[in-house]
Parts: sequence; C-alpha cells; structure tokens
Amino acid sequence: MYSLSEQHIDFILADINARGIRLESLQCDLLDHICVIIEQKLEKEEDFESCYEATIRAFYQQELREIEEETIFLLACRNRLTLSRNQFFLLLFAIFIGPFVSYDLAWLVTSGPTAGWNIPIHIWAPTVVYSLFPLLILLVLLLTPERLDPLIPAKSKILLGIRPFIKIIPYPFPRI
Amino acid sequence: MNYSTELIKGTLKTIILKLLADNKKMYGYEITQKVKELTLDRIQITEGALYPTLHALEADKLVTTETEYIGKRIRKYYSLSPTGKAQAREKVKELASFMDTMISLLDIKPKMT
Repeated sequence: MYSLSEQHIDFILADINARGIRLESLQCDLLDHICVIIEQKLEKEEDFESCYEATIRAFYQQELREIEEETIFLLACRNRLTLSRNQFFLLLFAIFIGPFVSYDLAWLVTSGPTAGWNIPIHIWAPTVVYSLFPLLILLVLLLTPERLDPLIPAKSKILLGIRPFIKIIPYPFPRI
Repeated sequence: MNYSTELIKGTLKTIILKLLADNKKMYGYEITQKVKELTLDRIQITEGALYPTLHALEADKLVTTETEYIGKRIRKYYSLSPTGKAQAREKVKELASFMDTMISLLDIKPKMT
C-alpha cells in the first residue's frame, strides 16, 4: 500500500491550516481523512499535487473553513438557550409587559377608590412605551440570519436591559 | 436514487450513533465508507457534515475518542460512551417510529421483496 511521505503530510497539514482550519482536533480528522483517500488514489499512479487538489476540492462547496464554521456553530448551539419564536415572544412579553401590567393593576387596586380609577400618565405612559420593546426585538429577529432563527439573538439581550424592573421599584428611583 | 441533503442531515446523528453501536470504534473515513457500503452508494456522507456532527456528539459526551499514530499523522477513533449507547437505542427507536408514521401519513405501500 502506498504511504505518504512526511513532507507530503506536512504539506497537507500546512494547507489545511492555511485554508482556515484552526481547531487542532478537526485538523487531525481532516488530515487523516485526506491522507487515506490520497494513499488509495496514488496506488493507481497519480500525481500527488493533482490528486491532492482534486481530493481537497471535494471536501467543501465554497471554502474548506466551512467545516470549521459548521463545527463551531454546532458546538455553540449546544450551550445556548434555544427557544422557538413563539416561546421567545411569550417569554419576552411576560418579562416586559408583565411587570407593567402588574404595576398598573396594583396601582389601580391600591389607589383606585381615592384617585377615581383614572390612571395618571406617569403610570400608563411607561407601559405603552415599554410595550413597544418587543417590537424592536421582533425587528432584530427579522434581521437575524435564517439559520439562527430559533435562537435568541445576542443583540436582543442588550434591548432586554433591566429598565422595566427598575421602573416597578418606586424607591430610590424617582417616578417619571 | 440519491437522497436530499435535508433528509441526510436530519438523520445523520442517528446514522453515526447506530454505526458506532454496531462497530466498537471507527474513524471518520471508515464511517463514510461503511455508510456507502451499507446503502449501496445511495447515501454518501460528506466530510463537511460528518466532522461537525462527530465533534458535537463528542462535546455532548455521547462519543469518546482515542488516538493512534499512523506514521506522522494522528488517527482519531470514535466510540460510544455509555450515555451514547442509550442515546443510540433511543434515536433508532425514534426514527423507526417516525418512518412508520410517514408511511402511514403518505400512504406508502411497502415493497414486496
């Protein structure tokens, strides 16, 4: 059986690296896979360089680093909270709107009889304003690449913030 | 008949887990060849799909790896962990049930062999 020389192996490893494969473990996998194929092909007396080019070309569609990107993507997905779009919005509305609605209701219950059931602007205005937050996040979702669709976009975490929670704590924060 | 990428991607984990359950340890190239052989070339797993899945399975602790030097290069053998063995059984069971459902849903008549 044909066996690749150390120079050939070094060449392949350097090329895999140059093509954007940085994960050592993935490099080992690909190096061995490519070597096995080439060794089989070279038994039929092919030229190493042309054989290598043809072999490596069959590993990807655009670029070899697609394999590493896919690996990193799959590994990253494992550690992320994945929610369907419906679950995501349910949670989002519960987090955002829940405190405001509860606050308004609590205000009505405690102040209703004396204030004549008219909710003052400093109570209902933030509710309206912050209820628009989920719409902003919907925008972020729409701009998220399709393959990340079921994941919570990282940028939406910035939008989430802690402002709604501060709002329902009356002291020491002044009311708007 | 070659199957669509979507179908293969959706079943790749199950295929790998089942192969590793049937063969004590396998390396990447061996897995692709075994699949080709068992399916009479109808399913060809690409390297771009195989290795990301193997690495994800390893990160999920469903497979373990051991290495062996082949001259200057390293060969990584993948084998099932105890959790992986249980998962393989579960995945195969799930896929079999899914296929039964699809056969019933699509009103596919089983072929007489």
